Amino acid sequence: MEGQQKLKAAKVLLVGAGGLGSPLALYLAAAGVGTIGIVDFDVVDFSNLQRQVLHTTADVGRRKIDSAATHLRALNPEIEIQTYETRITSANAMELIRPYDIVIDGTDNFPTRYLVNDACVLLGKPNIYGSIYRFEGQASVFAPPLGPCYRCLFAEPPPPGMVPSCAEGGVLGILPGVIGCIQATETIKLILGNGTPLIGRLLLYDALEMKFRQIKISRNPDCPLCGDSPTITGLIDYEQFCGIRGEESPAVSESAQEEVSVSELKAKMDRRDDFDILDVRNPEEWRICRIEEAILIPLGELAARLNELDPAREILVHCKSGARSAKAVELLRASGFASARNVKGGILAWAEEIDPSIPTY
Amino acid sequence: MPTIRVVLPTHLKTLSRVSGEVVLELDGVVTQRTVLDALEAKYPMLCGTIRDHVTKKRRAFIRFYACEQDFSNESPDAPLPEAVVNGSEPYLVVGAMAGG
Repeated sequence: MEGQQKLKAAKVLLVGAGGLGSPLALYLAAAGVGTIGIVDFDVVDFSNLQRQVLHTTADVGRRKIDSAATHLRALNPEIEIQTYETRITSANAMELIRPYDIVIDGTDNFPTRYLVNDACVLLGKPNIYGSIYRFEGQASVFAPPLGPCYRCLFAEPPPPGMVPSCAEGGVLGILPGVIGCIQATETIKLILGNGTPLIGRLLLYDALEMKFRQIKISRNPDCPLCGDSPTITGLIDYEQFCGIRGEESPAVSESAQEEVSVSELKAKMDRRDDFDILDVRNPEEWRICRIEEAILIPLGELAARLNELDPAREILVHCKSGARSAKAVELLRASGFASARNVKGGILAWAEEIDPSIPTY
Repeated sequence: MPTIRVVLPTHLKTLSRVSGEVVLELDGVVTQRTVLDALEAKYPMLCGTIRDHVTKKRRAFIRFYACEQDFSNESPDAPLPEAVVNGSEPYLVVGAMAGG
C-alpha cells in the first residue's frame, strides 16, 4: 500500500510518445503513476504502428498526445495525464520539466537528447535514458552527482547523418518494447526507492544475439555540465551543437580538397579515370535529369547504404546545386571514404557548362 | 598468436559489411592501439569512424569497453586484459545512438 501511494504521488514526464514512449506510458499508467506528462508534437502515421503500440490504426492522423491520452485514460482513469503539444526546445524545456520528479528520454534525435540531459542536470532531475537503433538498444539512469550524465558518456554527438535515425535505418518493432520496459522498470524503482538503479551503468542489448551486456560508466570530472568546474550553466542551441561538432580535423577537410568542378568531372570521364559518381538527390529529381554514369543514393538513405559504396575508390558526389552533396561528402569522409569530393554547383552547373541538352528544374 | 574478438556498433557493422563479431589475429602486445590498427587495416572503411583520421584519438561519440570496464580514457598503449587477449571476452566499441 505504501508503494502504491508513492506511485500515486509521483509525477513523471515522458518526452516523446513514440517507440520507447508507448510501452513506457502503458506500464506507468497501469502501475498507477499518479501524474504522467507527455510531450510530443507529432501525429500518428501508419509507419509508426509496427512499434508504437500506444496507438492504433484508428488513431492514424491524430495527434500522438491525444491518442496517448485516450488509451492511457482507458487503461487507468484514476491517474492524471498532462499533454503538451510542442517540440521541447531550449526556450521551454526548463518550464516543462520543473514540475516533474523524473524525466524519461524517449526522443529520437541527438539535439533533443542533449537538451533533455542538460535541462535535467540543471534542474537536478533524474533522466531515465533509453535509445535504440535497428537491433540494438541502450539504457541507463543519469542522475549526477550520483553518477554520470549523458555528456559524460558521449561528450559530443556524431556528425549529422553518420548514425541514421530509426526512420532512415529501420528498427525491430519489438526493440523499443524491450528498452522502454527497462526504462519503465527503472522509473518505478526510483519512485519506490527499491533495488539498485542503473546509475553508473550502461545496459547494452543486442536482439540478434539475444545478449545483454552491462558496462560501468563514470562521472567525468571534466564534464562541462556536471563536472567539477562546469562551463555549461544554461541551455544552449542544440541544433547548432549537434550540427557543428564531430567534424573531421581541418587537415583533411579543407573545402578546396573536397570540391571538384563540373569541367574537371567531365575531363575525368573523358579520360576514363577509375572513379564513381554518386547522385544524392531524390528519385523524382533523378527522373528529370541525370548523369548517366551516376549511382543514385538519396542523402537521407546514404548513412544506411554506405555498404553499397567502395571506400577504396574515388567518389565524386553531386546533387542539384551542391548543398546536399556537401553534406554527403562530410558524412562519407567521416565514415572513412577519404577520396569523396563534392561536385561544385551540382547538376545545374553540369547542365549550364557541359550538357545544355538536359532539362533543369 | 592472440585472437581478439571485437564487437562493433550496428552502423559500423553495416559500413564494414560484417554481421557478427570481428575476429582479429595480432602479433605481440595486445593494446587498444594495436587492436584498432588491425581493425582499420582489415576494414579500411572504418578509418575515421572510431578514431580521428589525423590525431587517432577516440571520437567523442564512441567508447571502448572490455570485461565490463571502461577503457575509453585509458592509454591506447596499455595492455588489454588477459580475457580479451585469450578471446574469452570481446573488446566492445560502443557508439552513440539516438533512436526512440
